[in-house]
Amino acid sequence: MRCFSVASVDSVIIYFGQDISQSIAKEVRKTFYTLKDAKLEHITEIVPSYTSIMVSYDFLKVSYKQICKEIDEVLEYNDESYNEVTTRLVNVPVYYGLEVGLDLESLAKMKNRTIQEIISLHVNKEYFVYAIGFSPGFPYMGEVDAALASPRLANPRAKVPKGSVGIADNQTAIYPQLSPGGWQILGRTPTEMFDTSYDGFSYLKVGDKVKFEPISKENFLELGGEI
Amino acid sequence: MRSGFEVITAGIQATIQDLGRIGLAQIGVSLAGAMDEFAFSHANKLLDNKYGTNMLEVVFGGVKLKSIGSTTIVLTGAKVDAKINNKVIEIWKTYKINDGDVLSLGFATSGARVYIAVKGGFDVKQEYGSCSVSIKEKLGGKPLHVKQFLPFTCKELKNIRKLSKRYQPDYDKVLTLRIVAGYQWDMFEKNQRDKFFKTTYRVSGQNDRMGYRLSGEKISSTCKGIVSEPIAYGSVQIPAHGEPIVLLKERQTIGGYPKIGCVIPVDCFRLAQAKQDSEVNFELIDLDKAREINRKFYKFFK
Repeated sequence: MRCFSVASVDSVIIYFGQDISQSIAKEVRKTFYTLKDAKLEHITEIVPSYTSIMVSYDFLKVSYKQICKEIDEVLEYNDESYNEVTTRLVNVPVYYGLEVGLDLESLAKMKNRTIQEIISLHVNKEYFVYAIGFSPGFPYMGEVDAALASPRLANPRAKVPKGSVGIADNQTAIYPQLSPGGWQILGRTPTEMFDTSYDGFSYLKVGDKVKFEPISKENFLELGGEI
Repeated sequence: MRSGFEVITAGIQATIQDLGRIGLAQIGVSLAGAMDEFAFSHANKLLDNKYGTNMLEVVFGGVKLKSIGSTTIVLTGAKVDAKINNKVIEIWKTYKINDGDVLSLGFATSGARVYIAVKGGFDVKQEYGSCSVSIKEKLGGKPLHVKQFLPFTCKELKNIRKLSKRYQPDYDKVLTLRIVAGYQWDMFEKNQRDKFFKTTYRVSGQNDRMGYRLSGEKISSTCKGIVSEPIAYGSVQIPAHGEPIVLLKERQTIGGYPKIGCVIPVDCFRLAQAKQDSEVNFELIDLDKAREINRKFYKFFK
């Protein structure tokens, strides 16, 4: 089920449901890539998130009603043809050392587990990229194991180092650059998340599957990581 | 020798802006671009520049620039005492500036943002499709700093041009922001919406290129939190504290607070000229009318 709603004078937001789920995320991905492929003339921007997609259009040329109709037609027509060809599995190397995993110790204490167990809980799952936002190339991924999930810090940090890998509730993410933030930090990746050399500028894309791969400090430094 | 402006005084915050990074919100890049497109686009029109040519956006003024080479300039937007050398100049009027001349801006007496445009724009590099400086994202370079050199190619406009007084905005009037209902509109009950539209809000000290937080009557929704969703230009967020935040050019691309609707672009441009403590009202407008008003604006400039 999709439901169209006005977002602004030049944007329509399409809702697929109200709660985060795999099936809704799949519907979002399918719609996102189908609309991108369709290259409708008057669309200027398509922004996906967990349960919705916002489509901006040239309102000098088309009305809200017209653009909704055009979108609907594209989606009806392509209903069966979509398959998940866009899904890639991306390995992201992470150094889970105490000097970069700023919240490892407190998390272990809170969860009554060893630090190694905390790391394993994070590493032993594959995550889907649901959305990219907050800052350039920042991937919102889920879902984190229920045994690991924990809320944002009560006092967000003024500076979270570039490459920091963190969790917030059942989501996990990577900070592409030094920025303020409240996610609990487990480690750091040497991989650039946002760069002109990448096709589409962002290392990860909506719909990618991500697996974190623990690496040693030496390896981290070799790959260009900074402590 | 290279021609351009040598920065003698950088002011509080001056940034190069064009119309921003369109099409990259899907990877988390905020739009950025000129906060007040009315003043921005008039500057380009007065100089016969191409639509969207970059220029300096100066918060409150305080900038001093020395010209190396000659060009034609125009100042638009906020009212400031401006001079070329020691001669007072008008806002919304083009002037020839010669090699060695010094352009100096006092502080804004009305409005918040002054645009300094040169014929042909500044020769600065684009990053991710735009010259706009995005402060938070560190894209497009940094805000203006002392000793920086802003290159331009010497070009001159033959005739002096001026925007007629009757088209020049009065930034001291109480501002009415027209909004189209959207997003979580239905989750604000009628009494809350009535309160929202009856209140005169004030611009708080928390106002920047990302958004303007307003203070006044608090309103609430029946919404128990939403899943993060894309944020359109002009979105009026109502977080748990109940006071509206209007999100502007450097807004985050997605967010999880309920929104009552969106301020139409032409009124966002006016809000960008509002200072702390300015009074602001909201008024509901239907989508067709909103489209017509904004269409007129863009048709005129494009």
